[in-house]
Amino acid sequence: MIEARDISVAIGGKRIVSHVDFRARPGEVTAIVGPNGSGKTTLLKALTGELAYAGTVTLNGRDLSAMKPVEAATLRAVLPQATALSFPFTVREIVRLGLIGGRSGVLPGEDARLPERALARLDLDGFAGRFYQELSGGEQQRVQLARVLCQVWAPMLEGRPRYLFLDEPVSSLDVKHQLIIMDIARDFARRGGGVVAILHDLNLTAMYAERIFVLRNGELAAAGSPMDVINDELIERVFDCRLKVGALPSGNIPFVLPQSAA
Amino acid sequence: MAEQSIAGAPGQAMAADGDRSARARFVIALLCLALALSVFLSLTAGASDASAVRVIHDWFTGAVPPDGALAARDRLIVYDIRMPRVLLGVLIGAALAVCGAVMQGLFRNPLADPGLIGVSAGSSLGAVTIIVVGTTWLAPVTLALGALALPLAAFFGGLAVTLLLYAIATRQGRTSVATMLLAGIAISALAMAITGTLIFMADDRQLRDLTFWQLGSLAGATWPKIGTVGPVIILALATMPFLSRGLNALALGEATAGHLGIPVQRLKYTAIIGVSAAVGASVAVSGGIGFIGIVVPHVLRLAIGPDNRYLLPASALLGASLLLIADAVARTIVAPAELPIGIVTAVAGAPFFLWILLRKRGVVDL
Repeated sequence: MIEARDISVAIGGKRIVSHVDFRARPGEVTAIVGPNGSGKTTLLKALTGELAYAGTVTLNGRDLSAMKPVEAATLRAVLPQATALSFPFTVREIVRLGLIGGRSGVLPGEDARLPERALARLDLDGFAGRFYQELSGGEQQRVQLARVLCQVWAPMLEGRPRYLFLDEPVSSLDVKHQLIIMDIARDFARRGGGVVAILHDLNLTAMYAERIFVLRNGELAAAGSPMDVINDELIERVFDCRLKVGALPSGNIPFVLPQSAA
Repeated sequence: MAEQSIAGAPGQAMAADGDRSARARFVIALLCLALALSVFLSLTAGASDASAVRVIHDWFTGAVPPDGALAARDRLIVYDIRMPRVLLGVLIGAALAVCGAVMQGLFRNPLADPGLIGVSAGSSLGAVTIIVVGTTWLAPVTLALGALALPLAAFFGGLAVTLLLYAIATRQGRTSVATMLLAGIAISALAMAITGTLIFMADDRQLRDLTFWQLGSLAGATWPKIGTVGPVIILALATMPFLSRGLNALALGEATAGHLGIPVQRLKYTAIIGVSAAVGASVAVSGGIGFIGIVVPHVLRLAIGPDNRYLLPASALLGASLLLIADAVARTIVAPAELPIGIVTAVAGAPFFLWILLRKRGVVDL
């Protein structure tokens, strides 16, 4: 369980996130949605310990601020929104960096084969020998996710759940690869891990997330299941545009049709 | 891309699976051979016709040479002049190249180099301060520290500049390379101005001591000097391999390195202190020798990739070999006089550096 209480983050004197309560359960995909500049990434950076915050964050009941980097790295992996690389590494060398902490959770000796398996899951067979800097933006994003997966390959380690933090994991991907990545996230959760993902596509969110946290101006606007959260009134108020919300025939998954910005 | 054409160069083809470790180990083995060869060459070459081969042969076999006086002269030249010089060349070449690679990893930029960003200028200032005012204003310090005063002053000079640069160039965890280079130029200029003032105050004997700081030379190599700076350099270099995984992760940015479990702050401090110690000690005995730190890691990155687990040892070997060769050139090209080695490395290194800049134009945003 990831539990955050009364989280506030200020950057350069400006408060970006105010008094947000957040929780993400193992076995679930938890989505953070909200307009640009609503504090989603800042909240995620607080939850991963990258930014200083007021309030408390616990991972599996342990205080995040008291954890050493290597302990936190055993419990969770983080996919940033963008990664700039400073030297010409090959794709395999990048993915292998995920194994640096040595806690992937597979049997000793199988680690060496993980980069291959991670790349295959992300539809990147044959990419291992390519130079990272020569790939397209979407391909680079998938390589980074392969690296992140290697870090916490087993969703449970020593009986305790582990977590994936994904900041806009599908933002530069075509629809097939969006689905591949969301399937990986769901699979990670089904096998006992927890996933926290910042998403922009409300339909993808409704399809894959068990719980949704909606941010607006750095504050929590709503939290709950897709059916609770995704409705005309809330979505129009938070995103400040006209949307039509319907529901799939099965009745428990909403969908959103954009109308107009006015 | 050049990386790919080089990756397909003779020796070993780039493995199709992107794993360059076998190739890196092969290159490191070759570099060991190259270093052995350079050491041999350096012991043999020189203004005198002393035969290192014969001296070493006699030493191993216990043979008594026919001409005793000549043999004694040759032994003196080989043991007391060339050997300390070769050993110092190996230590300093390795230190400069490894420090270059570490700084580049730390600043996440292939153009960072202790000489370029002012660390060497800071070390020089520290050393010159001791030479000029060490016997007057700073006499108590010099007396207390003895032979360590000079290397320590060079170390703290280099450390001060590195910390200052890092503080200036880093805001909210991001290190700006443009700021770093510009601040390095400014700090270098300031350090050189103060150094210049000290030189103005120096007497004739001190001036002779000072001349070589500016150009760099291995001519001052003696066994006692190696005894003083050798342990510092060896200790600093011995810590560097422990930084290699962290530096690899740092290529993805500080935040991501932290998420991977690297203690980033500790990594940065260890690297900065290690680099200052090694560069400070090098400058203390040999002055500022440029370009080894930038050229060696760059060439090796093209050959074996940027993985620091291989890049750091390979840099040590190639740096040592290149400095020995440069020193052999410096000693023989105008024999019986000798050129400052800094001139040789600059003449060979500067055009190479310009070539990197031209190739990287548009790729690296300065």
